[in-house]
Amino acid sequence: MSAATQLYLATLGTYICVNVIASWALDLQFGVTGVLNFCFIIFQSAGAYTAAVLSLGPASTSSGFQQYIVGLHLPFPVPILGAMVVGGVLAGVVGLISLRRLRSDYQAMVMLVVSVIATTVVSAQVGLFNGPAGISLVTNPMVSLIHASRQTQIWVFVAFCVACMIVVGFIMYALVYSPYGRVLRAVRENDRAIEALGRNANRHRMQVFIIGGVLAGLSGALLVEFIGAWAPNGWFYPETFVFFTAVIVGGRGSLLGVAIGAAVVGVGVQQAVEYLPITLNPSVIASLEWIITGALTLTFLWIRPQGMFPERRRRFPVPGRAAPPDFSEELSPVREAFDV
Amino acid sequence: MSEFASAIGFGIVTAAILAVSSVGFTLQFSVTNVFNLSYGSVMTATGFIAYGLNNAGLNIWSSMAIAALGGGVISVLMNWLIFSRFIRHGLSRFGMVIVTIATGLICDNTIQAVVGPSFYSYNVPLERVHDIGGMLLTTQELIVIAIAIVLMTLTHVGLKYTRLGTAMRGLSVNSSLARASGVPTRRVVAAAWFASGVMAGIGAVALFLDTGAFGATTGSSFLIIVIAAAVLGGVGSAEGAVVGALVVGISTEIAAAYWNAELKNVVAFLILIVVLLVRPQGIFSQLSSERTAVG
Repeated sequence: MSAATQLYLATLGTYICVNVIASWALDLQFGVTGVLNFCFIIFQSAGAYTAAVLSLGPASTSSGFQQYIVGLHLPFPVPILGAMVVGGVLAGVVGLISLRRLRSDYQAMVMLVVSVIATTVVSAQVGLFNGPAGISLVTNPMVSLIHASRQTQIWVFVAFCVACMIVVGFIMYALVYSPYGRVLRAVRENDRAIEALGRNANRHRMQVFIIGGVLAGLSGALLVEFIGAWAPNGWFYPETFVFFTAVIVGGRGSLLGVAIGAAVVGVGVQQAVEYLPITLNPSVIASLEWIITGALTLTFLWIRPQGMFPERRRRFPVPGRAAPPDFSEELSPVREAFDV
Repeated sequence: MSEFASAIGFGIVTAAILAVSSVGFTLQFSVTNVFNLSYGSVMTATGFIAYGLNNAGLNIWSSMAIAALGGGVISVLMNWLIFSRFIRHGLSRFGMVIVTIATGLICDNTIQAVVGPSFYSYNVPLERVHDIGGMLLTTQELIVIAIAIVLMTLTHVGLKYTRLGTAMRGLSVNSSLARASGVPTRRVVAAAWFASGVMAGIGAVALFLDTGAFGATTGSSFLIIVIAAAVLGGVGSAEGAVVGALVVGISTEIAAAYWNAELKNVVAFLILIVVLLVRPQGIFSQLSSERTAVG
């Protein structure tokens, strides 16, 4: 394989891992617990910026090329761990503002507004993360530990991303298919009922908000260490919508489905548009990606709102009694799949 | 002092534009309960219709009027082709939010694919500047303020004293009771979408006149500020939207004059978040949160 092909495949691999981790994080919030997190992208972005400024040396060494805060030049796992912490803390703060007492439709609104505030502030305050131009030339602290050819280094990092994805997959599995996961689904289905049973619905929403923030931070850190750059253009508020589409197309609440949805929507659509047999203006290509993403959402919500791989409905027979009757035929499939 | 007066002047112009746009947004929301995040795309589309007419030689105010009617038609079509079908398909309110975002993205990017990434501006003659108590306003800005006042009065009177307005208010309070009392729901809903599209159109042309240049995403960027004004007043309340527009418009322009022009909208957003924390239903709203969408 030529070096270019290898780089292409490695890039695809990293993007898929990053998108899968991020979509799982959103699925935990939106798919499993029913929290409409419209500012999801800012947690990924916070992770990316944190990892970048922890990996880079002090801004003064860049000879005026770019300016940013911190610049600690920390060794391998620290920038990624730092990104996860910052993602989680930011999620905690946003969650405290939006989840605690707002009406549910205002929650989504406030999160949109928070997302716009974040982009505006980062773009306007050039001293923070180099403003609209964004941070670039981020060195990958993991790769610099390995004394090997550039090719090998890249593949080691891809392997690390895959390992991260597998670990996150196990954590998600443990969370979603446990008694804790049942409470989360109950919060989604009927938060009053679960409160009547003595669980605090808001506390569970807050918890998944923070867990999702940590995972989003991880995904951003992995991505920025690989591509080496991060700018406000890449995380305008509609970007969150790509992950929503991935979750809806894959199947809300289904781990395998969301992983496939993330690969198809986050990476596949873009690749498909790039390989169109007609030559298009670059800006038209970007527009076409958005149009396809939007159309995918509408199509799935109309034809198959439960996604490609629907969440399995579980029934729990009460000991000593007959199995509960099966009402699933009588419920409208749309209502059942999309009743947040 | 004159700096303050001129900031207030700019604030009132911004508030006039915002008031028209957010009353359109909130009127449609209160009748149909669809949180329409594609409203910004309707604004952009009408802005470009007006651009086409203006380029063809029509003056800007006639272009605005025709484009506004076009906005009403686009808005009704969007509801008829997409939103109402999804509602009758049984999608929940939160599913509808995602549907409107998807629709907005499709519209914005279709416009972007056609007009490209460049910016456009209307062809308007140079205006005389009037000094009104230190506020420096052009004739054009005075006309925008006048249009806003007329539209707000019409909305208020229309909602309060006409049969259609009564039907709209009835639908917004209790849609099933309104339907049971013989309100022709679909026609009233269509009227609400039409009115909202018209206001989107007028707001858009006024906005694009004010900002000078506009592109395929200008409407959707402005939408967040429109929503901030609407939510600040209380979503679903027309008077609230006016108050919200004044608060947002004047505070952003004062922030731009005295603090940082790039961060002026952040001030409005922070005010919104603080108000929502203190009074989660907005300043004026009396809507319950358990309503379902009507299409």
